[in-house]
Amino acid sequence: MFRLQDSKVLAVDMTGDAVKAKNGSMVAYDGQMTFKKLTGGGDGIRGMVTRRLTGERMTVMEAKGHGTCWFADRASEINLVHLQGDKLYVESSNLLATDAALRTGTTFTGLRGASQGNGLFTTTVEGHGQAAIMSDGPAVVLRVSAQYPLIVDPGAYIAHQGNLRQSFQSGVTFRTFIGEGGGEAFQIRFEGDGLVYVQPSERNTIAGDL
Amino acid sequence: MTTYPGTGPVIFDPMTLPVDDNVNDYTFCVDLKGSQWFLQKGKMIAYYGSIEFNGIGHGPLEHLVRTAFHSPLHASDWVVAQGSGKMLLADRAFDVNSFDLDNGNLTMRSGNLLAFQPTLALKQSIIPGFLTLIGTGKFVAASNGPVVFMEPPIRVDPQALVGWADCPSPCHHYDHGYLTGVWGGVRALTGFGGACGEEHQFEFVGAGTVLLQSTETLMAEQAAGAVPQEPGVPGGGTPGQPGATRLPGQLGDLSRRFGQ
Repeated sequence: MFRLQDSKVLAVDMTGDAVKAKNGSMVAYDGQMTFKKLTGGGDGIRGMVTRRLTGERMTVMEAKGHGTCWFADRASEINLVHLQGDKLYVESSNLLATDAALRTGTTFTGLRGASQGNGLFTTTVEGHGQAAIMSDGPAVVLRVSAQYPLIVDPGAYIAHQGNLRQSFQSGVTFRTFIGEGGGEAFQIRFEGDGLVYVQPSERNTIAGDL
Repeated sequence: MTTYPGTGPVIFDPMTLPVDDNVNDYTFCVDLKGSQWFLQKGKMIAYYGSIEFNGIGHGPLEHLVRTAFHSPLHASDWVVAQGSGKMLLADRAFDVNSFDLDNGNLTMRSGNLLAFQPTLALKQSIIPGFLTLIGTGKFVAASNGPVVFMEPPIRVDPQALVGWADCPSPCHHYDHGYLTGVWGGVRALTGFGGACGEEHQFEFVGAGTVLLQSTETLMAEQAAGAVPQEPGVPGGGTPGQPGATRLPGQLGDLSRRFGQ
């Protein structure tokens, strides 16, 4: 059972079950715990190969036992996500912990990833359970529905879930090249039905200064 | 439609997002209804609706820029958002706050100002690196840690200063005993002998309000060029030259801490 100790520390209460978490993110535990490194980001041999190929490398450990285990990473804000059979798309660097029952994998993101400077692939989490994602500053969760599509700055995007189509839109015009750009040269447009997580901070992206 | 119950965070949609108010301490929501807002480049993180972003030099904005924008040095940092929808603004996970000016004036560090309504006029302050807003309207500013409001007379640390409203007279203040004489020179230049790092402050006297942030982390400032080279214009001419020859007895780099 995941709960937030405060906004920057994740507490997981375990009764013999397991949790997958970013390697080295455990800050404290009580009770009996065993930790073990998982190969290939928790996806086994297949994960070793695909994660190496896609650049979505993550080192994941499994914590198992009875008691409470606390996780944190660089004082990042932590956001809980409940998955009920739907799929969460998140950058591997923003994923802190998942229920052991959730499946993780990698998927192609296309131009969005490239515009973020995060590569062309992203991590997926799917199944029933909870996951914890990290953001620079508390994330704002925005609902996308049929009548309300959402446009997001690639540098502020951290994750999305649900049945969403994403398209890439560019505001690059001749003015961008003469230094009169609108400052938002690349945007991701989400349509469909789901949730998008944005952080109140922008990573450095290639489009950051356009 | 799937639901996401439990202790998860609050989920916003265009109906539940606040109107021209903070979503949380770090994110501000602007409600555009066919109206325009000035914002610093790249501070938009997401929006609903149809909003267009144009540089200050965009032709159709000529009239707006003529009345509300008098900071040619900062023109490349600012854009105009227009259209209708809800737009979220944030800056490097710093605290953001909105302030209302009612026929008033406020001067602040250029890096701290995120956005303002065009009913306000943005003018470059004669103090290099600062901008002045004049008029009536709302603006959004970022600070590292919450903003504290103080009444003059007060002396503040240069790195903690965000801005000041109305007309307190800003000036430099040096702890004289700490900086003069042979030992003062040695301290200022080398740090030996107990330079405490607080020998220099900004001093404000007069009626008004001084805005401080609760840390001494400065916003990154972008080089904005220099004001026209004219007699009588402070900071006019060549931008500050680092490593310029230092005369004996000068205060070292202390004197160049602010902007130039």
